[in-house]
Amino acid sequence: MSEFEKLRVVTGYEFLKHIRRRRLYVILGLTLVAELAVLILLPVLMEGYPDNIMVMAAMLTIGPSLATIGAVFFAGDSIAGEFESKTGYMLFTNPVRRTTLVTGKYLASCAAVILLIVFGYAIVCISLLAIYGNIPIETAKSFGLCLLYAGSVLSVTFFFSSVSKGAMGATVITLVFLMVISGVIDGVLTMAGQPSWFLLSNAGDSIATVYGGYELLMEGIMPPGGMGMLPFEIKTPDIGLCALSMVIYLVVGFVLSILISKRRQLA
Amino acid sequence: MREPIVIENLSKYYNKFLALDNLCLRVAENENVGLLGPNGAGKSTTLKILCGLIRSSSGAAYINGINVAERPEQALSRIGAIIETPEFYPFLTPEETLSYLGRLRGMRGDGLRRRIKEVIQLVRLKEWSTVKIEKFSRGMKQRLAVAQALLHDPPILILDEPALGLDPRGVVEFREIIEGVGKEKTVLFASHQLVEVAQICNQVAIIDHGRLLAYDNIAELEKKYQSLERAYLELTGGSFE
Repeated sequence: MSEFEKLRVVTGYEFLKHIRRRRLYVILGLTLVAELAVLILLPVLMEGYPDNIMVMAAMLTIGPSLATIGAVFFAGDSIAGEFESKTGYMLFTNPVRRTTLVTGKYLASCAAVILLIVFGYAIVCISLLAIYGNIPIETAKSFGLCLLYAGSVLSVTFFFSSVSKGAMGATVITLVFLMVISGVIDGVLTMAGQPSWFLLSNAGDSIATVYGGYELLMEGIMPPGGMGMLPFEIKTPDIGLCALSMVIYLVVGFVLSILISKRRQLA
Repeated sequence: MREPIVIENLSKYYNKFLALDNLCLRVAENENVGLLGPNGAGKSTTLKILCGLIRSSSGAAYINGINVAERPEQALSRIGAIIETPEFYPFLTPEETLSYLGRLRGMRGDGLRRRIKEVIQLVRLKEWSTVKIEKFSRGMKQRLAVAQALLHDPPILILDEPALGLDPRGVVEFREIIEGVGKEKTVLFASHQLVEVAQICNQVAIIDHGRLLAYDNIAELEKKYQSLERAYLELTGGSFE
């Protein structure tokens, strides 16, 4: 039996795991609530939807948060869980390479996160069609960047899962890394006028800024020219550099997680 | 005759603690060998190295002549194992779990379905075969562990305290199962239960502090020490009085 066939088997059963977990449906429900909140509160609080479809599309884009939460909650226990909950005693005594197991788990987590992202973007598309009768082509770019971002966050989560003793530890470390450490450094670099495209949090911003940059996004929440009142300049991230950054995180995180998993012992 | 299980000068350090100290053991084909020893003697460490779960610090372990550390997939294809008390994915049923593990071992279609039914029947989990494992007791999981070890009808069984968590009826049923299948298989069986080992195995290896103290036929040990219990206590430094 080839490793490719084993990979298909592992991916299939790991995806079944995600489908049967309550967390998938909780995140889907929260996505719906978040999008509905934007759709209901905007006209109530701001006397109608924005005239510019790009602003509305950007405001509805919750892709980065969705990708982060989905990736972290689906992948946090992927490797660490096998050691912590002792399922590894059952799984690792089978004639399957650790590389195949990790890759199968990664692909299954990807599929589950893609399901979430497709659901989120379906709501965006239906909403834009209903309100403006149109879907901007930038939505497709945003969707593509969101998939890439999800892949990179998954890789980072897999890396932390491969070095963590427990699933909860891996999940928390990944969230702190992405939302606190990366976010704080991103903020400091932005204030200092330094580039921060190499940070995953900054790269994730490109999912929304693809609709027209920070100035356009701020239209909805600041007075005209409000960006000029800030004591520092916020530069819209370069899409190409952001994509490159995400690819690097994706590849490096994934390769490291495989190498560490292969070395890890189930004592 | 080729020996399916060969352990050569196996040593294992956990940081500075020496768990295995140049352990050597050879298990002949169709022999059922009990691995006895007090807590921390190195029994589980030995079996984990044989199953590729941990690496030895020095020495080598072979399954059917295949070095486990160098070619783990080939070595593991010949064994069925229960290590410690394995856990299973709670969101799967026993049928799905066995189907997953069977397919990973290249089993397919009707043959796999038929074999799953056989082993589920064997471990008496038929009524629970489509119930999610999250509802299972420890004993039921242990029965499933036996089923997954036998699923692919491996020629070698490596069992670490396999009756742990089973109720008295389960222990008896387990013993009957292993006695039955063990006639045609090579079994290395770690346990604290001398009675259980004596009923299932014809040979025992007694280890302590990672060293092999005795490896002999049970009848020979009983002749030499009067009983297996006395042999165990004397060899591992315990007092019979």
